[in-house]
Amino acid sequence: MAKISLGSEPVVGSLTPSKKREYRVTNRLQEGKRPIYAVVFNFIDSRYFNVFATAGGNRVTVYQCLEGGVIAVLQSYIDEDKDESFYTVSWACNIDGTPFLVAGGLNGVIRVIDAGSEKIYKSFVGHGDSINEIKTQPLKPSLVVSASKDESVRLWNVHTGICILIFAGAGGHRNEVLSVDFHPSDMHRIASCGMDNTVKIWSMKEFWTYVEKSFTWTDLPSKFPTKYVQFPTFIASVHTNYVDCNRWIGDFLLSKSVDNEIVLWEPKMKEQSPGEGSVDILQKYPVPECDIWFIKFSCDFHYKAAAIGNREGKIYVWEIQSSPPVLISRLSHVQSKSAIRQTAMSFDGSTILCCCEDGTIWRWDVVASS
Amino acid sequence: MPGIPLVDHKPAYYRSADHMCREDPCEHLSAEDQIAAEESLSIYCKPVELYNILQRRAARNPSFLQRCLQYKIQAKHKKWIQMSISLPSSVNDGPQVQNLFPLCILLVRPVNSPAVLENSSVYRFSRACFLASCTGVEGMYQDQAKFTLPEINKLSVEVESGSFIILFVSCAELFKDHMDLSSFPANVGGHCLLGKIPLELLLLSWEKSQNLSTGDRAEMLSTVDLQSCFMKALLQQLQVSIAAEELGAKWRTPYDTFSHSDIPASLLPHIIRLRTGNVVFNYRYYNNKLQRTEVTEDFACPFCLVECASFKGLRCHLSSSHDLFNFEFWVTEEFQAVNVSVKTDMWRSETVADGVDPKQQTFFFCSEALRRRKLKSLAQSSKHVHPLVLDSELPGSNLCDKIDESAERDASCPRFSSATAHSYVEPDGDQSLPGSNLPPSALLQFAKTRKLSVERSDPRNPVLLQKRQFFHSHRAQPMPKEQVLSDCDSEDEVDDDVADLEDRRMLDDFVDVTKDEKQMMHLWNSFVRKQRVLADGHIPWACEAFSTLHGMDLVQTPAVLWCWRLFMIKLWNHGLLDARSMNSCNVILEKFQDQDMNE
Repeated sequence: MAKISLGSEPVVGSLTPSKKREYRVTNRLQEGKRPIYAVVFNFIDSRYFNVFATAGGNRVTVYQCLEGGVIAVLQSYIDEDKDESFYTVSWACNIDGTPFLVAGGLNGVIRVIDAGSEKIYKSFVGHGDSINEIKTQPLKPSLVVSASKDESVRLWNVHTGICILIFAGAGGHRNEVLSVDFHPSDMHRIASCGMDNTVKIWSMKEFWTYVEKSFTWTDLPSKFPTKYVQFPTFIASVHTNYVDCNRWIGDFLLSKSVDNEIVLWEPKMKEQSPGEGSVDILQKYPVPECDIWFIKFSCDFHYKAAAIGNREGKIYVWEIQSSPPVLISRLSHVQSKSAIRQTAMSFDGSTILCCCEDGTIWRWDVVASS
Repeated sequence: MPGIPLVDHKPAYYRSADHMCREDPCEHLSAEDQIAAEESLSIYCKPVELYNILQRRAARNPSFLQRCLQYKIQAKHKKWIQMSISLPSSVNDGPQVQNLFPLCILLVRPVNSPAVLENSSVYRFSRACFLASCTGVEGMYQDQAKFTLPEINKLSVEVESGSFIILFVSCAELFKDHMDLSSFPANVGGHCLLGKIPLELLLLSWEKSQNLSTGDRAEMLSTVDLQSCFMKALLQQLQVSIAAEELGAKWRTPYDTFSHSDIPASLLPHIIRLRTGNVVFNYRYYNNKLQRTEVTEDFACPFCLVECASFKGLRCHLSSSHDLFNFEFWVTEEFQAVNVSVKTDMWRSETVADGVDPKQQTFFFCSEALRRRKLKSLAQSSKHVHPLVLDSELPGSNLCDKIDESAERDASCPRFSSATAHSYVEPDGDQSLPGSNLPPSALLQFAKTRKLSVERSDPRNPVLLQKRQFFHSHRAQPMPKEQVLSDCDSEDEVDDDVADLEDRRMLDDFVDVTKDEKQMMHLWNSFVRKQRVLADGHIPWACEAFSTLHGMDLVQTPAVLWCWRLFMIKLWNHGLLDARSMNSCNVILEKFQDQDMNE
């Protein structure tokens, strides 16, 4: 647990909404009876910024947000295994720009769906247990990273189907990995967090040759010399319970546990000794009734705001980069009572989607200020 | 392959065993097939080559099985004399003689010790034979007393060293009460009649008559005077027939002594079949369609020429020492045959691909510990072997021991015990790696063979391997079929790149070490890991190899070179590096220095 010295206490945001922006419900969809665990906008391809995907049950669905709160269904993929339960989905793309959907869940098999040809492009086996989160490297969108219950994080090349690196071993996570995120500007860095209450920052700088090699690999993917990255460059104990979501904000990290708050902190690495370092907790964003695990927050493209749902179906929208943090809005609806697992903010933050435990998808649109 | 090739395959010869020896259909083959057949015969080359190498090693240090079989062969060639004593009814007639029965006959030697009283004599014996009646009369006991004596020359030596006596004791008085005559009672006393024949006497007569040495039976009649132990008066006379015959040598059949030159070729197969030690080997090839046949003598193994004493011994030897082949054993009344074929399933992975230096390949050696059960049976059977070992090795053993032993043999197994050789052999046991008298490549191949022989236990394995999906153990990536079936598996090898990286990172943690020292440590650590320098004895080699490998770099960065020199001194301090090796390291470094200067 990070020590907080006198005079450098974190700034805690006020729960009084600033009403800077107001949102209202414009649509509500019942996708099915099974909970939906993931909803994500496509930030990879500017042509499809209004397209989002959801994952729940053995189904991945692609929708489009249209004017006036209309949601159009574009595609729907149903896994051949009825018992599969997708926990996560991420947008990625081929080297030539074909949009891919990368989904994973209970079975531990990563499905790469070619949204252009509407076919399964590849299936990645390798993880020994369910997959909790998949993220795409925004600068190289054919690289995805997956966090798994098997206590490992794997880096994949969706184009060639190669498992490039495995972040696990002596210095790895000691329980399920729940969340993982690429550094927005430093391609070599990722952060992962999980049920061992830690956030680990990994560097693949020394292994970057293998990442490059994966793009030119023509032999069988299974013959690729997959490397183990055993030691993270930084281990942070910011929380005292499961850490189920972390996101880079520049060189800072946003992470949340089950303590009704999101924490913004800075990892301070020591130059001399990797693996050690201290944590400076900068700000806290309170989120009431957010004390169950597997609730994830999301940001708009520019990380100006973050939206997070809670156990009671309410959404808190925080302005991240202001100090003290400002609660932009608190979204609630009488019929929204089910726990919100994941939210998605559109490119500019004007639309917020949330997916709920009861299988509904809600669309909130910003109310144009007069 | 040695042995006598049987070229003419006459069906008549194999009339009784068509199922065993198929007619060679070679003549029905086309020219192409014949070439293919010849090629397929060459699969025998490699195993035979390997076994030749092993045989050379075994000559100096024979395996346990081979030593056991050697003892059996020695025992087989040994001669001994069987002496049988009987009372011919024709000469011993009358109720007086009947009264003497049961008559106990003992081969004894007198014990001369100060403890023995003046008027009594003490004899040592090992076995008593009882005669209940004269020969020719049906009785409940044996009619002859049989004693086994060593061969005549040895016997005379033994007799010279101490007197032996055949004692005749009439036990009628003693056995009045108890009728159990299976053993000589331990403590009985009473009046009985005693008669003796010194063995010297018999020996003299045997030496005189030439019968014994020519293998005939030497028979003689002798009169024994039976006296009471107390009164020296003659009480009764007994006619005894003593027959001696040399055994062991007699078991050789006339066929055993011929030489090949005096037999017409047409008769050869017939005679070959009749000799006891001859074994027919049929080598199958070309998918078991064809076979070559040869015959070895004296139960010899055709691959390493070792004589195996018996067909059983041969069987044990073949299956234990030549496991690259499959053997089928056939024994009929007429002959003994072995069908040989090469185990093909393992040779595929045995060969090393072209351009791959087998010395560079990692190999594994698996050894299975002896099981307790086997040890027990070994102890059991060694009981039979033990006396055979003794008398062949120790010439000074006395006759009593010998009588002991032969008596025991008489009792337990009438002929030479065919001790169960299979129990000495660990059928799947792996022998330990041989010493350094083999060239490394052969050594390697040997080790590989052993490894594979453990793996290939189930012939269905390849099929099973193809049936299901396999995954790499570390990265859990699916394996394509070719990888599953290939010989290489790098999963458990150390990833040198990553290990170097981690080593560097670990060294970076040190704050009181200079950059050059870290560099030196890193070079040495990765060298030691890659070359698997594990034992103290590896160090001198490692230092020289390290100097050669990094010499140029070291010379160009003098600071690191000094670190290396200091490190060598440290090793020398600890006694891990001798001065001589350190000198040669410095010579290597100097050479690099000269090279560097010239450039």
